[in-house]
Amino acid sequence: MNKSWKNYRADAFYDELIAASGKPRVAARRVVKLLQSLPKEEMASRRTAAELAIREMGVSFTIYSEGKNIDRAWPFDIIPRVISARDWAQVSRGLAQRSRALNCFIDDIYNKQKILADGVVPAEIVLDSGNYKPQCAGVSPLHGAWAHICGTDLVRDQRGRFFVLEDNLRVPSGVSYMLENREITKRVLPELLENYSIQPVDDYPSRLHATLSSLSPRGARRPCIVVLTPGIYNSAYFEHAFLAQRMGAELVEGNDLFVDDDDCVYMRTVDGPLRVDVVYRRIDDDFLDPEAFRPDSALGVPGIIRAWKAGNVAIANAPGAGVADDKVVYAYVPAMIRYYLGETPLLASVKTYLCMNPKDREYVLANLDKLVVKPANESGGYGLLIGSHASAAERARFAALIEENPRNYIAQPILSLSTAPTYIDEKVEPRHLDLRPFILQGKDIWVTPGGLTRVAMRKGSLVVNSSQGGGSKDTWIVEGNR
Amino acid sequence: MSMLSRVAERLFWMARYLERAEDTARLIHSYTHLVMDIPRGSEPGWDILVHILNTEPSYTEHYRAYNEQNVMKFLIAQPDSISGIMNSIRAARENVRTTRDVLPGEVWEHINELYLYAQEYSEKSVGRRYRYQFLETIIARCQMINGMLVSTLPRGHAYRFIKLGRLLERADMTTRVIDVGAAALLGDERLHSSVDPLIWASLLNSLSAMGAYRREIGPQVEAGAMVDFVLRESTLPRSIKFCLNGIRQELAPLKNNKDATRLVLKARRKLSGFDPQACSREELHIFLDQFQFLLTNLYSSIDQTWFMTAERRATATLG
Repeated sequence: MNKSWKNYRADAFYDELIAASGKPRVAARRVVKLLQSLPKEEMASRRTAAELAIREMGVSFTIYSEGKNIDRAWPFDIIPRVISARDWAQVSRGLAQRSRALNCFIDDIYNKQKILADGVVPAEIVLDSGNYKPQCAGVSPLHGAWAHICGTDLVRDQRGRFFVLEDNLRVPSGVSYMLENREITKRVLPELLENYSIQPVDDYPSRLHATLSSLSPRGARRPCIVVLTPGIYNSAYFEHAFLAQRMGAELVEGNDLFVDDDDCVYMRTVDGPLRVDVVYRRIDDDFLDPEAFRPDSALGVPGIIRAWKAGNVAIANAPGAGVADDKVVYAYVPAMIRYYLGETPLLASVKTYLCMNPKDREYVLANLDKLVVKPANESGGYGLLIGSHASAAERARFAALIEENPRNYIAQPILSLSTAPTYIDEKVEPRHLDLRPFILQGKDIWVTPGGLTRVAMRKGSLVVNSSQGGGSKDTWIVEGNR
Repeated sequence: MSMLSRVAERLFWMARYLERAEDTARLIHSYTHLVMDIPRGSEPGWDILVHILNTEPSYTEHYRAYNEQNVMKFLIAQPDSISGIMNSIRAARENVRTTRDVLPGEVWEHINELYLYAQEYSEKSVGRRYRYQFLETIIARCQMINGMLVSTLPRGHAYRFIKLGRLLERADMTTRVIDVGAAALLGDERLHSSVDPLIWASLLNSLSAMGAYRREIGPQVEAGAMVDFVLRESTLPRSIKFCLNGIRQELAPLKNNKDATRLVLKARRKLSGFDPQACSREELHIFLDQFQFLLTNLYSSIDQTWFMTAERRATATLG
């Protein structure tokens, strides 16, 4: 065995590849064996090859720092994460179920509001939230689908059980990296894939295209689909361009589109104006339409909400879908699944304390050192407190914030996130990770096999966001056991 | 399938910058070669390259003396020199970065690699020791990318605007090489007339036309015949005639092409009415000057017809 794997131990955590006995898990057996047989120099040279491939493929993301945009190469760990197809099938069903319920909820909220009338979800937490957009009331998008693309963050506890951490229903990103990670593994570790039957991920763009096509307001002919990006300086621009190219769709910026007197959306082309059927927008609600939302937005398309309400264009994700993407609403998803679908939730949620409830708040304030406190409304891992890792001063600061604005905070127990072997410097060490699968919902529902695995590259760290130094891994769903 | 005006514009400029990088590399390449053939003391100055590329103001912002070191630094490595190789490659890449979705995937990878290569080696390639190798790599890679576009891109709008950009840039460069190159070099009193043929041959080389000239006309390069050849030989890919014919062909399937087509036809008529074999150097200069003006008008027409979005037009009228 090559020395870099010596003394690999995941301690009390669930490790994705190595069981507590120190032996590889069944699905990962051949990957581990092969990697362990590689000489030390070979591991290093594969990593260099991966870095080179990433540079050549131009896989990058942008971070904002000190007022500047910095284009960074995508961080990638060469050791894949392996999950058996049998384990995944259950998760996949749970994700589809969740997505169905969330879409029922959004459609209900902007129309009849039955769930509020029946007292299953308290009306004030929905209607007083900044995520509820009154401009969207009364709209009924095709197939009752609002959150057409959902990125759900999953983690595994010490027993390996999957939990949903959050649902990203606004403009979830990361799927292009999932695809590129597979591409990189194929290039730099081709022999790893030789004897495995791994569920392919490459058909995501065609599935996305099918989902978006099913939303077109104009019948069966080939719809005109565009990807609306805020532009080259957005941190996910790489992905916007990538998806447009893979779908054969047009990548547009706000000023490439306009809404004419007939309330239809057009793009400016060399042949003159051309009508657009489906807008896959990667711009937040607030910036989408200066007529309906923020009047100072220069990124959006004036009148596009008007066109959408008139039924002349589909917008994915639909404006207002973020009403279900709220850490307070999250606590009610199991109830929604029972209410709308009459089913038992297949995927576990994390126990969530709502600081707005006096009882919960009292518990949270007394147990800050055992909890993760999150603002109800931020993404990217910003503004959260991990109680066990924080100083007394930080905890006091958060206690004050909670008292001041309880609606804005929730708390959850600190999960012992699972780990996987990760190649750090010259050694293989356990690092914590999560998983973001993507769920598509239009006429049909489809779940990616696997998703984007993000890794906290610092020892012991639980923060996996790439904007904060996280890395990523190729994620394999493998068939068969032997 | 149609194409966004913004995308068409960026593709057009991507092609122009890529062509500019290649042409500038060619020009430096053949000039470096020429300088080594000319007896010491009678060699022309390095400033000629800056004049050909019409970039004196930017040069004088950075440097005072026109010596080899400075001019090479300016044209090869300077990141903000408009006609410089480094800047052209950066700008080409930037334009592809925002139009990747309409180009074959490998094009982005190769432009990106070209950029990384230039970034790493341009500084080191200012001196003569590595200059050749650098320029040859740049030329080869630009040609590879062009080859990729020619052999994989469907003949639609993307291909059309790329070709328009490439041909317009090339025609522009060819007229400048003849105008400034020929006029200035040959007007120089210091030069011995025995080096004339060397200079003409060098200019032909910089247009990659020496081989064709030998086969078509003969090994002895002579001024009038050479100018005629690069202006009017319709089979030569870097001749003005060839560029105009190509532009005419790509304009034909576009909507609203009247104005641009009229300008191309006018340029073609002007070209056939001119006889390089029988004109003086002064007349040649006047002709090329007017011709450049026509090319500028042609670009404005393309810009106004297909690139200017309604929004830009509105601000243009307002402001």
